[in-house]
Amino acid sequence: MLEFIIGALSPLNLLLALLGVAAGTIIGSIPGLTATMAVAVLVPLTFTMSADSALILMGAIYTGAIYGGAYAAILLNTPGTPSAIATTFDGYPMAKRGDGDLAVSVACISSVIGGLVGALALLFLAPPLAEAALAFGPVEYFWLAVFGLSLIAALSTGDFLKGVIGACFGLLLAMIGISETSAEVRFTFGSNVLLGGVETVSALIGLYCIPVLIDLVATPDRHLKAPEQTRGFRLPEAFGLLLKNKINVMRSSVIGTMVGALPGAGGSIAGLVAYSEARRTNKGKPPYGEGNPGGIIATESANNATVGGGFIPTLVLGIPGTPPDAVILGALLVQGVRTGPSLFADGANIVYTFIFGLLLATVLMLPVGLMIGRFAYGAIVRAPKAALVPIVAFMTVIGTFAIRNSLSDIAIMIVLGIVGWVAGKRGFSVSPIVLGLILGRIAEQGFVQSWTIGDAIGNLWGQFFGRPLSMAIIALTLLTFFYPFLPRLKQLVSKSTVTPADERERASKPAILRDLLGLLIAGGIALLALQQSAGLNPEAAVFPRTIAMAMAVVVGLALLRLVATRHVTEFAVEGSWIRMTALPLVMLGAVFLFPVLGFGPTAVLLGLVLTVVAQHDRFSLKNWAILLLSVTAVIVACTLLFSEVLSVPLP
Amino acid sequence: MKLKSALLAATLAVFAGAASAEEFPSGSVDYIIPFGPGGESDITARFQQPFFEKLYGEQMVVNYQPGGGGAVGWSQLNNMAGDGSVIMGINLPHIIIKPKQGDVGFQTEDLAAVYMFHYTPDAIVVTADSPYLTLQDLIDDAKANPKQVIFSGSGKGTANHLAQVQFDEMAGMESTYVSFKGTGASVTALLGKQVKAAWGYTTVGAAQGDKVRLLAVAMEDRHPAFPDVPTFRELGYDMVSGAYRGIAVPNSASEEVRTQVSDAIKAINADPDFQKQMLDGGFALVDVGYGAEMDAFISDKAEGYLNAARSAGIIE
Repeated sequence: MLEFIIGALSPLNLLLALLGVAAGTIIGSIPGLTATMAVAVLVPLTFTMSADSALILMGAIYTGAIYGGAYAAILLNTPGTPSAIATTFDGYPMAKRGDGDLAVSVACISSVIGGLVGALALLFLAPPLAEAALAFGPVEYFWLAVFGLSLIAALSTGDFLKGVIGACFGLLLAMIGISETSAEVRFTFGSNVLLGGVETVSALIGLYCIPVLIDLVATPDRHLKAPEQTRGFRLPEAFGLLLKNKINVMRSSVIGTMVGALPGAGGSIAGLVAYSEARRTNKGKPPYGEGNPGGIIATESANNATVGGGFIPTLVLGIPGTPPDAVILGALLVQGVRTGPSLFADGANIVYTFIFGLLLATVLMLPVGLMIGRFAYGAIVRAPKAALVPIVAFMTVIGTFAIRNSLSDIAIMIVLGIVGWVAGKRGFSVSPIVLGLILGRIAEQGFVQSWTIGDAIGNLWGQFFGRPLSMAIIALTLLTFFYPFLPRLKQLVSKSTVTPADERERASKPAILRDLLGLLIAGGIALLALQQSAGLNPEAAVFPRTIAMAMAVVVGLALLRLVATRHVTEFAVEGSWIRMTALPLVMLGAVFLFPVLGFGPTAVLLGLVLTVVAQHDRFSLKNWAILLLSVTAVIVACTLLFSEVLSVPLP
Repeated sequence: MKLKSALLAATLAVFAGAASAEEFPSGSVDYIIPFGPGGESDITARFQQPFFEKLYGEQMVVNYQPGGGGAVGWSQLNNMAGDGSVIMGINLPHIIIKPKQGDVGFQTEDLAAVYMFHYTPDAIVVTADSPYLTLQDLIDDAKANPKQVIFSGSGKGTANHLAQVQFDEMAGMESTYVSFKGTGASVTALLGKQVKAAWGYTTVGAAQGDKVRLLAVAMEDRHPAFPDVPTFRELGYDMVSGAYRGIAVPNSASEEVRTQVSDAIKAINADPDFQKQMLDGGFALVDVGYGAEMDAFISDKAEGYLNAARSAGIIE
């Protein structure tokens, strides 16, 4: 063992681990640049290295990218990588109230702990865990996705029915494009733009980030509450919080390791499952979703634990645990290293040097992550709105483009952003939509596969409900789903005379009409999906049809409730309509200009126009000049980074 | 987009009369894979990358344009520059089957295929402890218990799926095919005993070593990496099939460019080190160059694929 530790600590490997973590953290913090991309860009570089150095570099950049996703989640309410979705739930509220620095520090320490647990599991328990992961069949994946969906009840801001409708909408969005299970073209309405489906990461950027930008330009208020004085890293506080949450952090790290070891599940599901469990057992204040650090601790420790966990099937079975692992596997193959059953026997020294390298990179994440985090927080808090908005908007555009080198993805991202903003104001929160989108395909595949197997063996019921593992997941799902309603159930049992929440004031007529319109549109979407499913073959149609029917029923319930209680959940729109409309329209305009003017000039133009849109303060001429120059400089530098360093073929 | 440069190149060519003979490559070449990173299309491109650079001293940059099972990339290929600076991976049966399944933005004949450089032969894979020791064991079980022999495989309308359909017909049996997203997921289901066998590729055997057993491979001769595994032909089933991969260029490319690209890929295929890497990975090489040879190859394969797809009910 000692020789491997020394191997991992060679000056070159140390340097690679440090560089990898730093680069990964920065890449992960940019929405749209995912861990998969970060690793893919590196592959040609690794051809010239020894296999263990290449692995350490890729492992370091991977783990850094997963952590980096937390910055954007906390500071901009936009998960930088899908793994950080649940980090937004409490991270952004914390940043809003001025605790962004604390949130970043907590995220960093949690990521390090989770990463260490995952890497240690890889070191000591890889073969048995890999065997255990194989027990997970299509049915279990289906129920795991349903378990993730049971979080809807918790994430619906004040209106459960609207949360379910949103989740159904997200599930239907995930069905667009060529079906994975039957290879049929679905819900594209004859357009080639939708052929490739809605790309998950670009949808995340649209749904989370564009509404934030629209709200930013609406009013002159500060983006985040600024602290009175710089308070450093607030490490004592952060460590105190982790001590208080020690059970949470260990449980979430274990969940992350386990889910990571399931081939194909990945960090986003691990984070959601861990968040859901932490939320269910939380006794403290404030509640989860309103800025409780426990939510960040759960998500961030779980998603970094998936790095080590994901390497378990990658190295032991030769089957990638997560998308970045698939790229790493390919790079190793080119190197002539064959992972899989024989690797632990023949190539043990590579494996162990790599695992110690991963442990080292994870430890290095603490200083590196805190430094970069402090810088990111300072930059976002201090930046004037007129600089923040154009730069973030530009990042969403270039990040979305980079995922699949597709201009139409940018348009889809912006349109989804407008949908997300409108839906959010109408009380359909964005998170259930995202949940549906992320889990839709996994749920559908598991469902259709289980159906096919159950049909073949002539025992559908046993296939879906008869397997012990499935039963355990179903039980957990029911527990999580009904947990938010427990207080009310207790009330019913104890016949207390507390007035139920439904007795709230009745809404005004315009509000009721607005709600009616919103629900009718949702109902229209459900009917449209039903009509579109009619012509598909049974395998492609069964899942979307079921979802669309459920959506129609819930819309009906919500309409009945509206008529009966006259109660409306909505959020007031404040600020300048002109600015709010201008932002997405200008961005859409840029999409059409890219092929005409080229990427760079259009991006600069976009930035300058949005500077004006976002500018509320009075600036002197000199300050204007500084502002416009710095926005231009950042955009040009980023464009060059993408086109030259990451070799993204910009239009 | 590359549209602008394509238009520009076209205009220039018109004004300059006949374009003078170009060197290939005249700079770095963008090699676009219409799938995500980490799959076999990516891995084989990465195998080619260093050899291209060794032969020509120019960079070959691998890019990804995933979506719609390759359709997104292929539907955009002809908008790109046809001067040899862009090449794209193509896959059979995908480019044959997809356009027949609905409007996917391209037709098979729109793609200017210039070279087919390898294929991943179909194979029936079982776990090492499976009761099926030979192909005949599996066929007997499937005949005794219709639909009960459940195969996993990667995707619908793919090489795996069409192989299952063709083989069921040949052997006169009825098995069940469960589609998974990718070979990794399909093999996971096999190793986890969720299914009885997998329609996979020889590459699965190379990756999984002695954890799995190949019952037969759909090749003309036995694969050098698996000398003990019989071909389907030896066992009396005329099956030579798999996922073929090759290279296409935008259809605006001149005959000269098409030939140059074809020759470049051919040269890589001829390198013994490249051949060894590919064979060790479980791949099998083919050499189908640009011209009549390619046309004959594609139309021959298309016939078999389309017949299988029709009997599977994937296409009308």
